[in-house]
Amino acid sequence: MSRHHRIANAIVAIALVLGFSWLCTMVFALLGNQTDWSKAWNYRETLFRGWWMTLRISLMALVGSTFFGLLFMFGQRSPLVVVRWTCRAFLEFVRDTPLLVHLLFGYFVIFAPLFSRTLGDQGLDDKLIIGVLLLSVFEGAYLGEILRGGVESIPKTQWESARAVGFSPIQVYRYVIFPQALRRVLPAMAGLFVSLIKDSSLLNVIGVAEYFYNTKNFISRSYAGLEGYVPLALGYLILTLPVAWLSHWLEKRFRHET
Amino acid sequence: MKLEVTELTKCYGKTRALDALSLAVESSRVLVLIGPSGGGKSTLLRVLGGLDVGDSGQVTINRQPILTDPNALQAYRRKNGFLFQQFNLFPHHTARRNIALPLEKVHGFSPAEAAAMTEQALARFSLLEHADKLPSQLSGGQQQRVGIARAVARPPEILFLDEPTSALDPEMTAEVLELIQELSEAGQDIILSTHEMGFARAVANQVAFVAAGKIEELSPPDELFGSPKSPLCQRFLSRVMRY
Repeated sequence: MSRHHRIANAIVAIALVLGFSWLCTMVFALLGNQTDWSKAWNYRETLFRGWWMTLRISLMALVGSTFFGLLFMFGQRSPLVVVRWTCRAFLEFVRDTPLLVHLLFGYFVIFAPLFSRTLGDQGLDDKLIIGVLLLSVFEGAYLGEILRGGVESIPKTQWESARAVGFSPIQVYRYVIFPQALRRVLPAMAGLFVSLIKDSSLLNVIGVAEYFYNTKNFISRSYAGLEGYVPLALGYLILTLPVAWLSHWLEKRFRHET
Repeated sequence: MKLEVTELTKCYGKTRALDALSLAVESSRVLVLIGPSGGGKSTLLRVLGGLDVGDSGQVTINRQPILTDPNALQAYRRKNGFLFQQFNLFPHHTARRNIALPLEKVHGFSPAEAAAMTEQALARFSLLEHADKLPSQLSGGQQQRVGIARAVARPPEILFLDEPTSALDPEMTAEVLELIQELSEAGQDIILSTHEMGFARAVANQVAFVAAGKIEELSPPDELFGSPKSPLCQRFLSRVMRY
């Protein structure tokens, strides 16, 4: 860095710190005497239950979206034109409409009338199951495209060599294509899983008692402001940051390898 | 090996890569395909090796017709070996694993048996010191030698080599060609295509000149290189031998 750059750097850094401090001071000055952190403490159990639910939803949807992602990927590589086109059209529809619409429409119009009673009779949480399913399909649609990109990026010679040593079509994917493709798309997949965790907050519209839903209730019951939103943001960061770090780490590691 | 090809045709889009090609070889250990690029050598090798299927025509190797059903083709590929110009190895595995993996997963050997066979193959081609390197850490010649070691670790009925040295510099070419010659002297049946005329002459029992999707000429090497009969072949040889 040259001397000019260093000076400019220092000036910008100071300006940013000052600006941010000013913003914080203004916000706290406005809310200062109304902020009461004991409110959040009193609701800690509800908030933690919500956070725990968000973690569970995320883990279930991670498995679910991997399943749907693989399904969509293979569907688009199917030798049958009908399957390819159906898959393509479905993916396009899912990716070009909001998740909010999928949740509302999917839950209230399609799945709840069909399965709610059956699931409820078996003592299962129908909102959770249907919500996770819809979230899995939505994220799976993106994952399918990521996986397809990875698989299609493997050079033709690798497919040929794998066939030439006598691997069956399944073995070709398992031993040759997937290990190489996954290395290439792992960073993108980790990024998608960060989105998945954040998107799980939308499940509140169908009444799943996850972190956002419980926080929202807490805020409206206790007239809280910052006391609700700060833990909310922190709670999501605890879940997303490790995945984001993992993604950066993978990216760096595989960049050096290839 | 005994090889019989009748009226084999293969089109890619509008190009006729093989145009009703016929070929009969009674018994030959090493069959070498030569000819201009785009003349159909690779396509013929791919069909013979079970990687592609002809649009029409018949291929019989050692009295067994090659079937077009995917499962039969896979079984056929399993008993033979095939090597491409380059990038044969799986880049995410070491040389050793590249050889052992098909032995375990394709041929059903136990990991211990596969490890022993791999060790033997590596030793045979003086590759032991490179056994634990990734393909990207090997030279092109070493990669091809590992590729050949993989193809013959479990002795194949026929070894197919599609221009195995085209991507290599002269020194590496020599080290790979020596290895192929060793294999043929050890009794391995080989069908290969090459642009190395000196090598073709030295190693072949029969040389086929392939051009425009047909076999223009098929003779023992001394005859084909000494006094080619087909005008196309004469012109090709005079051009490639000039320098």
